[in-house]
Amino acid sequence: MNRLLVPLVSLVFVALAAVSPWFVVTRAFGGKGVLLAPFGLVNPGGMRVPEVPLGWVHPAFWAWVALAVLASLAYLFLKGKARVQALYLLGGLGLLLFALEAFAFYRQVAEVNAAALEAGARRPPLKRYSLSLGLYLQFFYSLFLLVLAKIHTPGGAGLLVRYRGVVVPAVSLILAMVAGGVLVWLLRPVPGLREPLSTYEYLVAKLDLVTYTFQLLFGPVLTLPGLFQSALIATPLIFTGLSVAFGFKAGLFNIGAPGQLIMGAVFAMFAGLYLPGPKFLVLPAAIAAAALGGAIWGAIPGWLKARFGAHEVINTIMMNYIALSVMLLLLSKNEWSFFGHVVHFPFKAPGYEPKSLEIHETARIPLFLNLLGFKGAGPGELSLALPLALLLLLLGYYVFFKKLELGPRVLASLGAAVAGYLVGGLLPGIPAQVGADLASVRLNGAFLIALFSVAFYNFYMWRTKYGYELRAVGLAPKAAEYAGVKITQKIVLTMAIAGAFAGLAATHYVLGGGIDEYRFKQSIPYNVGFDGIAVALMGQNTPIGVTLAAGLFGVLLTGGLQLNLQLGISRELVLVLEALIVLFIAAGGFLPRYFTDPLLAAEFLKRLAPEAEKEVA
Amino acid sequence: MDVLSTAFLVALVAGALRQTTPLLFTALGGMFNERSGVVNIALEGIINFGALAAAVTVQLLEAPYLAQDPNVRIWWIPWVGVLAAIVAGVITAWIHAVVSIRYRADQIVSGTAINMLSFGLPSIVLLFLYHNTTASKEVVHRIMPLHAYLPGLQDFFATPIGRILDQSPLVYLAFILVPLTYFALFKTPWGLRLRAVGEHPAAADSLGINVFLMRYQGVLLSGVLAGIAGAYLSIDQINQFIRMMAAGRGFIALAALIFGKWHPYGILGATLLFGFAEAFRIQIEGAGILPSPILQAFPYVLTMLVLAGFIGRARPPAAIGKPYEK
Repeated sequence: MNRLLVPLVSLVFVALAAVSPWFVVTRAFGGKGVLLAPFGLVNPGGMRVPEVPLGWVHPAFWAWVALAVLASLAYLFLKGKARVQALYLLGGLGLLLFALEAFAFYRQVAEVNAAALEAGARRPPLKRYSLSLGLYLQFFYSLFLLVLAKIHTPGGAGLLVRYRGVVVPAVSLILAMVAGGVLVWLLRPVPGLREPLSTYEYLVAKLDLVTYTFQLLFGPVLTLPGLFQSALIATPLIFTGLSVAFGFKAGLFNIGAPGQLIMGAVFAMFAGLYLPGPKFLVLPAAIAAAALGGAIWGAIPGWLKARFGAHEVINTIMMNYIALSVMLLLLSKNEWSFFGHVVHFPFKAPGYEPKSLEIHETARIPLFLNLLGFKGAGPGELSLALPLALLLLLLGYYVFFKKLELGPRVLASLGAAVAGYLVGGLLPGIPAQVGADLASVRLNGAFLIALFSVAFYNFYMWRTKYGYELRAVGLAPKAAEYAGVKITQKIVLTMAIAGAFAGLAATHYVLGGGIDEYRFKQSIPYNVGFDGIAVALMGQNTPIGVTLAAGLFGVLLTGGLQLNLQLGISRELVLVLEALIVLFIAAGGFLPRYFTDPLLAAEFLKRLAPEAEKEVA
Repeated sequence: MDVLSTAFLVALVAGALRQTTPLLFTALGGMFNERSGVVNIALEGIINFGALAAAVTVQLLEAPYLAQDPNVRIWWIPWVGVLAAIVAGVITAWIHAVVSIRYRADQIVSGTAINMLSFGLPSIVLLFLYHNTTASKEVVHRIMPLHAYLPGLQDFFATPIGRILDQSPLVYLAFILVPLTYFALFKTPWGLRLRAVGEHPAAADSLGINVFLMRYQGVLLSGVLAGIAGAYLSIDQINQFIRMMAAGRGFIALAALIFGKWHPYGILGATLLFGFAEAFRIQIEGAGILPSPILQAFPYVLTMLVLAGFIGRARPPAAIGKPYEK
């Protein structure tokens, strides 16, 4: 590794930390704030605030400079074990310093607020105070030193390459955030700017604007309604992410998720409107219908590829537009004329609005809060039925029935879940208060269906012979064929299942009322099908990865609303970030090729192996 | 409505030529990159960025002049807009080229990313410039149809033939490009090289052809042409940029490229067919012959049939979509 790496990174860190806001002492709605940087207090909006004794920030900065210099020297002049120990020590020291600073800041702000309240203020004078970029930099610099130390231990050099499934998306995310930050820097003025700023103050204020942008974007993780809203937005992304990932695993590129989602919605709508019977039959049937609609729309390009060799990318794109036409045909007008014959569509809601009639009560997926036993806002009881069922399902699968064969293991775990549901229903609930903001989030049972789909994906892909064959086709089609896999069949099946995942996203919108009404509306955001590509890439086609990536985008999109409200930055910034993440992941995070190519990665790790042995000896 | 009236036919043909133009530009551009062995589904995004650049450039250029005299018309302003669209298209295509040729990324993923970028980024730019996220300010300096440049021929442009021929210079440019691209691709050494790197890059390389350079050229040319298509949409067909303005034209162009079998004359035929279909759909809207969504789906169904080999066989360049490694 290049010897100048640590001095360079340290230099960048120190320079950036010097002009970064370290703490936001208080902040008004709209982004105006009082910022504390190592070389002074910056107050672009001219806000009046009580003084907080933060004089220690300036010495703290020099402490960091010393730390960075020591780290550089240790890296340049020490060798072997001493170097590793020094890096570990400095990294640990950095984390300690970071924690101390954060703790001191929060305690001092709390003291100032308490003093003001005691003196008769009606509200605490310091609001929305937080750590800022400077502190984040310190945290990540310490982590950098620790990782570096780990890399320089014997056998540690392969660490990053071994975890490349995390490293590539993480690096791409960071690069995308940097690019997004530059965009915000260029396009937005400092919020609430009143007084002319010196160059130093301007830099601090601009960096605060960028930092605050991302604080808002990631803000939803801090509140329960925010998390619920994020899960709501993440639900369809999980489905479409799985859809794309499933295709990727077999070497197929499914850009058809938007169309498959629409066809899922069409089928779900018909099932929800016309299936008679009790809820416990109609609801599963309607969910299956959504999957079926997507599966058909996915199977067609699959068949065309298997039978005629037509490329699935072009065909799925074409199928998207055809699905769009189907939707327009069904929803945009009440009646159409075919060569003069007027056909009336009974499922279309009367009037100009492009939407279907409401589906029957029996086909609706309950809201998540109702599943937990609550009945809307206000006081209620948290029923233990669902939590206990999920707990027993997981415990059963991973602990109790671990020794069983796959089939019995799944069945036994499901049995445990049902038992848990019944027992939990009989137990007395926990009283709890549901806020209006939480009750207004339309997170529904489709979220659970999404999680079960993730589990199914995991089983199918890594626990069944079909999944094994599918991955074999993706890695080496010729070899798989030679080993007896029927490629053509496999392609059709893969595309059908991928389509089914995307079709299931419609359960969220149509059956779960994800966009306020239990109908098929033309405003159904079918573009989440494209977002699925970002989710699958970011999640590296693994079940956990897809779930986390969908969650990440759910959080960002939820935070985007606040971004719009407070800073006047369009929510589309999140779309830009998403696109950049896809672009950077496609380019392998601009990392060396042994991070993206499994064969080169294996070679790289193998080359390291004898080296490690030598060092140990 | 009388389907065979002169007025209907004139409107149909004139409309079809206008619908064909952006598809033709884009598909001819796509031909260059696909012939060089690079898939470019970013065409949609390039059109969007071209359209944005053209409208914004024209608006910013004309604003100071219009502030002095609201009636002033300056002939070069829209052409600078076209130039800006070309630059924007080339930059966008260049990103695709770097990521997919230099970093050997999956070309479909890279193209998808650029398309996604073209849905989001314009909103941020529009918010910065015009305080809304969906549309630019309307521009005054559009590229006008021929009658604006040839005031002596007003009588001719009032006749049915004249009304069909009264198109913008960009429409003529699109059609003139067809034989030109044919010549470049099939009658020049450069065209031979471009096709060679798309069919068998290793063989081309062994003959001393720079595969990467040829592919860069192919992709950047698609940026030039798709960028012009964007300018055509935003400062010719109408007079402002609207978010997601390409509205699938990049993908229809891709379809036309396949339908036209990667050949300029084939592409001409395919885009004309799709252009006529679209113009026909608009003309008979409300006539009660067929629901317009069904007609809308026509190019897509046709493309799938062609791709499956039901209507002739479409054979893409052999090395398409595969990153080349020395």
